[in-house]
Amino acid sequence: MLNLFLKRITQSVMTVLGVVTAAFFLVRLAGDPAVLNLSAEATAEDIERVRTALGLNRPLLVQYLDFMWRALHGDFGVSLRQNIPAMDLVVERIPATLELALTSFAVGIGLAFVLGVAMRMTPSRTLRQVIMWIALGRQAIPIFSFGLLMILIFSVWLRWLPSLGRGTWAHLVLPALTLGTYELALYLRLINASLASEQRQDYVRTAYAKGQGHIKVLLKHMLPNALLPLVTVAGINLGLLLGGTVVTETVFSWPGVGRLIVESVSQRDFPVIISGVFLISLMFVVINLIVDILYGFLDPRVRAA
Amino acid sequence: MMRMDLGTKLMVSLLAIMIAFMIVTPFLPFYDPYGQNLAGSLVPIGGASFDGRLYLLGSDTLGRDILSRLALAGQVSTLIGLGAVSVSLVVGVFLGLVAGYFRGPLEAAIMGLADLQLSIPRVLLLIAVSAIVGPSVANLALLLGLTSWVSYGRVARGMTLSLREREFVLSARTQGATAAWNIRKHLLPNVLPQMLIVASYEFGQIVVMEASLSYLGLGVQPPLPSWGMMVSEGQSYLALAPHLAILPSIALFIMVAGLQFLSQAFTSEGDVTGAPQRTP
Repeated sequence: MLNLFLKRITQSVMTVLGVVTAAFFLVRLAGDPAVLNLSAEATAEDIERVRTALGLNRPLLVQYLDFMWRALHGDFGVSLRQNIPAMDLVVERIPATLELALTSFAVGIGLAFVLGVAMRMTPSRTLRQVIMWIALGRQAIPIFSFGLLMILIFSVWLRWLPSLGRGTWAHLVLPALTLGTYELALYLRLINASLASEQRQDYVRTAYAKGQGHIKVLLKHMLPNALLPLVTVAGINLGLLLGGTVVTETVFSWPGVGRLIVESVSQRDFPVIISGVFLISLMFVVINLIVDILYGFLDPRVRAA
Repeated sequence: MMRMDLGTKLMVSLLAIMIAFMIVTPFLPFYDPYGQNLAGSLVPIGGASFDGRLYLLGSDTLGRDILSRLALAGQVSTLIGLGAVSVSLVVGVFLGLVAGYFRGPLEAAIMGLADLQLSIPRVLLLIAVSAIVGPSVANLALLLGLTSWVSYGRVARGMTLSLREREFVLSARTQGATAAWNIRKHLLPNVLPQMLIVASYEFGQIVVMEASLSYLGLGVQPPLPSWGMMVSEGQSYLALAPHLAILPSIALFIMVAGLQFLSQAFTSEGDVTGAPQRTP
């Protein structure tokens, strides 16, 4: 068990170091930070002075290690537009993004759970097919199109829900529904497959032999086991979910990290972009680590591996 | 011949019809994706402008013909998609074959890179890079390609791991065949069919990714149209002229769903789509 912990933690640390390295090269690609910090009228002398001040005349390796050191302290430089530490701007937006991501996660898992059980219990082949068709169809609609469709139906035509901003729970419904259902087809297929494989297990036969009803066997015995792989895959797919927050936040004017990144791109505010990308990747790595460790606790078979 | 169910047949036919439209529209007399017309702003589907010009699928705020723009945008997306798929196919197959054939530290390095790339959400990576290098059609194809090699790489490596132990490869090796020969003559032909299946799935993913970037304003740049950009332009007129956002969305849906069903028809079962999975 300890072995598994150590291995996964080392892996995660390596990944974070890799992300920081990628960020270093991205910052270099963006152009000379000295030039970006100055106005267009700066003379060569000014640029040289800022280069010295920012330490850009040191050897590349020293700069890299320095960048690494600062990055580990969450320092990716100062926002070129607002003149405050870029990371502060990003951290401010984290709660909104987490709220959206976690709600969407719950919506996705919850819907997969309900629809998966419904598909298992209904004797109607047509109903099963219809559910699967809807999930597959949803998957083929990009997040922004689906989001606008939701706005069109529920905000413009029915006038039930607000179309943009953050505040009450009502603001959260459309974005969470948009982002949460994107992966539904995958989850449904997964829960179906694992329910089907649990069906063949001895403990299920034992439960039926004891005289328990179909619904009780399904809900009490099979589902806890079938949900495990669902949670794992959903955890791994959190990258997709976090990436999806960028588009979702833009559609619904949700004031999260993703929207900040998109806004910063149009302002060419590179420290903010890099900070945002780094922080979301970090969130992703940490959540995956937690999911994996939880999985080790929940499923004894993993520990042996 | 593959067996297709009714839904697959329907979606694939829709895709074929749309592609036919994309090819034919530029030869029609009214084709004009750029021309603006102040007398014909926000014409509804099938309506005409004040100066009597007919718009089959309506017009946008600037009075540009939506049908023409949809067709041109589709061509742009397809071009970017084909470019990106070619790039990622070549890079992914190469890295996957090399990793699987040579094993050792090289494999660890390549698969480590794959894991790293998966740990940064692809949209974010694309946003960061395209913000920095500047979006153009060629850059987009290259970027989308370089960020999607992982699916091919993983499947190619997995297949190579078992292929390299097969008799025909072992016998070639004992007869003194070089690694390059083995990879080119024995491994590549066996891996390629699977790779094309992955490609058919990835194509749809890349179209969505490009559309998302264009929606965010970081993809295809005006005056060139893109479905994602057209949706974004239509968002401000959702109540007034919903067809502005809906029509490009439908086009995207047909494209993505058609490709999805097509690639599903190719694979009988099993996950070769390279959906994010963890190497132990």
